[in-house]
Amino acid sequence: MTLKQVLLAGLCALGPAVVQAQSAETLGWLRKMHDATQKLSYTGTFVYQNGGRSETSRITRYVDASGDIEKLEVMDGMPREIVRTKDTVRCYLPGSRLVKVDRRTERGFPALLPERITALARHYEISLGETRRIAGYDCQAVVLTPRDNLRYGYRLYADVNSGMLLQAVTLDAAGEPVEQFTFTQLAIGGVTRDMVRSRHASRSWRVEEALAAPAHLAGWGLSSELPGFHKIVELKRRLGESRSAGQVVYSDGLAAVSVFIESLEGRSDPVRTGLASMGAIHIYTREVANHMVTVVGEAPAASVQRIADAVEYRRPQ
Amino acid sequence: MKDKLSALMDGELDDKSAAELIEALGRDGEAVRAWRTYQLISDAMRESRLLSAGFTARVAERLAKEPTVLAPRAHVPGFQTESRRWYALSAAASLAAVALVGWMAFAPPQQVAPTPVAQVQTEIKPNIVPLPTAANDYLLAHQGFSPRVSLQGMAPYVRTVSEQAVEPRQ
Repeated sequence: MTLKQVLLAGLCALGPAVVQAQSAETLGWLRKMHDATQKLSYTGTFVYQNGGRSETSRITRYVDASGDIEKLEVMDGMPREIVRTKDTVRCYLPGSRLVKVDRRTERGFPALLPERITALARHYEISLGETRRIAGYDCQAVVLTPRDNLRYGYRLYADVNSGMLLQAVTLDAAGEPVEQFTFTQLAIGGVTRDMVRSRHASRSWRVEEALAAPAHLAGWGLSSELPGFHKIVELKRRLGESRSAGQVVYSDGLAAVSVFIESLEGRSDPVRTGLASMGAIHIYTREVANHMVTVVGEAPAASVQRIADAVEYRRPQ
Repeated sequence: MKDKLSALMDGELDDKSAAELIEALGRDGEAVRAWRTYQLISDAMRESRLLSAGFTARVAERLAKEPTVLAPRAHVPGFQTESRRWYALSAAASLAAVALVGWMAFAPPQQVAPTPVAQVQTEIKPNIVPLPTAANDYLLAHQGFSPRVSLQGMAPYVRTVSEQAVEPRQ
């Protein structure tokens, strides 16, 4: 046996062990981020960038025994605000003196549970990246590289001590950023209940209630699912003021794509078939069986379009 | 130095001074850092798209991985005996093997992006349309189901009220 053969044999024995040890540690980091997101109270300023645009917002989270409340305030332009409680999201839009309310009958929001974190490894290669200081916090990068080109990649930077996510970058197949969220300032703890109340809460603005409830959308489905994206919920809901729609959500455990189905009955404006984009979000619209189908998701344009093209209606027997 | 750097960026230096300065950049670490900062400021002012984090490092890494063409020197009789040359070659091979093992064992899994060339060519380019006027209704309805919220809190909701998603016009 030559020296080279010995080394190669050693390498073969070493390889898988190294890979496994790494994934256990990296999955631990995702859990740490998840726990920090559920448990910490904090207030901070972050910048949302997509393409050449950027927008600064402040986010405040308050946790006590009864649950958590989160508030997001946009700092640029109109002072738009969003307040989220356990089952309700309220968007305050001062430009149109309007409050949009998204209320759910099922409890809470879908959580990325620990066992689902492990399942993520089927669609993403998860590894540790560099350490970097962001907004005064020493952060560890966790890199999720998609195993195919149906989904985006992510670089997540979490505070080494608390696990709090300080930066999240969404990457396309070429590794270029399509969108990023970065905290420029963050204080953990010291949040009071008053800090998560909306400044617009006492105004008598018009309220648009969009109630959503699980339901079966008879006849609607996909001729073929996109690999890795499975149906997580199917509901009937209101969109905006009065439109009623069906919504089916597909997810690979991290990215989600919603299919909205609205009847075209009584509508005069034609459906504009095509793709619209906003950072990592793509929206594809087309007409199926006298319904407008709108597919919205944080996935590459081709994936969103593939789901839209697969939407079909079969008259229930 | 800084005045010169800014003149170089604006293309105001004559060829000779430019060549001298570029050579100086090769020697002076601080000047290179100043140069990068100036470029970054200029990109920011022009709102050019930022290169992804670590772009320079990745290019350097890929360059380093490019195979080196070893041009053999002309054989000078008597200069090197056969056995010495073999010794040198096998030592080089062992070093390469050690380097390979070291690299494979300790480097993080490579993140070579899949080359989407074939796919892109077979897909029909979609018709590009503006965001629907009710984009924020869809985003609001969709956002709550994104598992990402569990990792990031409600930051992604900012898209819902982003000026791009258009507040419904009055």
